[in-house]
Amino acid sequence: MEKLDVSIILPIKSSAAIDFNDYFTKCIESIKNQKLKVNELVIVHGNDTNLLEFLDSFDFGDLTVNRHVWTQESNFAKQVNYGVASAKSKWVSLFEFDDEYANIWFKNVDIYIKSFPNVDVFLPIVIDTDDKGIFAGFTNEATFAMNISAEMGVLTNDTLQNYQNFQISGMVIKKQTYLDWGGLKSSFKLTFGYEFFLRLTHNSVRIMTIPKIGYKHLNLRTGSIFWNYKNGENVLTSDEVKFWIESAKKEYFFINDRAIKYETQND
Amino acid sequence: MTPEQLSKLESSIENLKSKKSRLYFLVQDTKGNAKASVSFIYNMALTLKKAGYNSIILHEKPDYVGVSGWMGEEYMKELPHKSIEGQNLEVSPEDFLVIPELYGFVMSQVSKLPCGKIVLCQAYDHILETLQPGQTWSQHGFLKCITTSEMQKQYLENVMRNTSFDILKPFISDNFTKQTLPPKPIVAIHTREQRDTANIIKTFYIKFPQYRWVTFRDMRNMDEKQFANVLKECFVSVWIDETSSYGTFPLESMKTNVPVIGLVPNLLPEWMTENNGVWVNNKTHVVDFVADFLQNWLEDNVKPELYDEMLKTVENTSSKKEFEKVTIDLFQKYINTRLDSFEEQLNKFQTVE
Repeated sequence: MEKLDVSIILPIKSSAAIDFNDYFTKCIESIKNQKLKVNELVIVHGNDTNLLEFLDSFDFGDLTVNRHVWTQESNFAKQVNYGVASAKSKWVSLFEFDDEYANIWFKNVDIYIKSFPNVDVFLPIVIDTDDKGIFAGFTNEATFAMNISAEMGVLTNDTLQNYQNFQISGMVIKKQTYLDWGGLKSSFKLTFGYEFFLRLTHNSVRIMTIPKIGYKHLNLRTGSIFWNYKNGENVLTSDEVKFWIESAKKEYFFINDRAIKYETQND
Repeated sequence: MTPEQLSKLESSIENLKSKKSRLYFLVQDTKGNAKASVSFIYNMALTLKKAGYNSIILHEKPDYVGVSGWMGEEYMKELPHKSIEGQNLEVSPEDFLVIPELYGFVMSQVSKLPCGKIVLCQAYDHILETLQPGQTWSQHGFLKCITTSEMQKQYLENVMRNTSFDILKPFISDNFTKQTLPPKPIVAIHTREQRDTANIIKTFYIKFPQYRWVTFRDMRNMDEKQFANVLKECFVSVWIDETSSYGTFPLESMKTNVPVIGLVPNLLPEWMTENNGVWVNNKTHVVDFVADFLQNWLEDNVKPELYDEMLKTVENTSSKKEFEKVTIDLFQKYINTRLDSFEEQLNKFQTVE
């Protein structure tokens, strides 16, 4: 059976999230239902007993699944970087357990890889929904809007300087490109995806949005990273939000993570 | 008949036989903008020129812009051009004047010229625009008409009863080829009335603000190559032309593999079927169909059969070779008819003598 040479990287902190089982089942179904099958699913997961038991008993069907237990403190960026490093395919795709791929996504990625051999990163048009599944908007579509990008469909550094709403989840990137340019910076909060895109485009990596709905993203799920930034124990202040945006714009020149820290301004 | 008249008749016969008789084609000055109806005339004229006939392009004023910008240098270089204004137009009995339907006032001006006169009717809704009430083509000596489709011919036969009709179907230029790269979220829009274009775009963005990132390209004011290249990037075409008599744009779209959402014209094109496009009866519904099609395209839900039917439709339309053959056959027929008439006159004279 023909497969796309892609590894899906799925980091999981724990199974404590509300409705974890339902979300996880849907996310795996969305991989199984692809019109073009994928090479591998890499799960980098925490080691709580419930999660381990759940994953042990889960029916992944004929998916090739490689599981890695993450014993350090949970960190989305670190877990993704680890998963990418251990991936066995030429391409990798970042995934979240509360999201779903559209079943046409990897089929279209295959078409675009063949049509645009000089492109290293493909972004899906993402449908953002609320926790009831109601449509909230699109993401990554802006590369097609008039006067946003110099080349329709291509994400450029200039565009990113003025517009931050692009998403790494669902994207398909060459594994080597990901590694060459340092992967996600784990010291970053909030803007780690944005900083990564700035860094890639600064280094002339071509990023293209495929004009197909490829990914469904659940916005601000209770307990998710971004929910926590807004509503959790460590809520980001507007100063801190500003700090992370500005830091992304400064740090993208550096490939290595320079362990950026936010310090409260005491005037 | 005087010896002078006899000599003229013999000379006319000789010119007709040797293809020296002049075939004048009147064209509109589009000021450098592409227009399918003008391109059609130039293609006829150039086909005949290449086949050894004496075709000449006729334009109204000396400051004619020409078509080299959008059709190519060849058409301006190969074909002699003459202006009606400011130049002495030589017209002999063995010559032919081909006048587009729009130029009813020219038909009345040339009605007394002794040459062969042919109407070229590509747009049936223009035929009466510059004719006086009650006037017909035949009253001005235009007894032959070339038109572009059977449906249009049937319509015209009921209005211009004393004129005979021939059909010459346009062909879709070789500049239009199938997309080789996946298309972008761009809608190609081509409407006869420019305000329809503006209305559709504005209504679409108001009704579907979530799709503000989708681009509409007004397909006006482009040369053919540019037009074909832009079309290649589009995922769908919108076509509004109620008085269309043939439908070049939808066929160009289909040849490019771009599906068409179109308003059904008053005269149903011969190539239009239930399955080769999205054909809408109400102009105000077009934006809803665009949004619906867009949604399906974004989700890969457009039926592959649509693309198969488009391809079949285009394969069944006139090719450039057919167009050239029919053009030459038609004009040779007109020449032969005229030749027969002149030879008959000559025979009568010689018999009397």
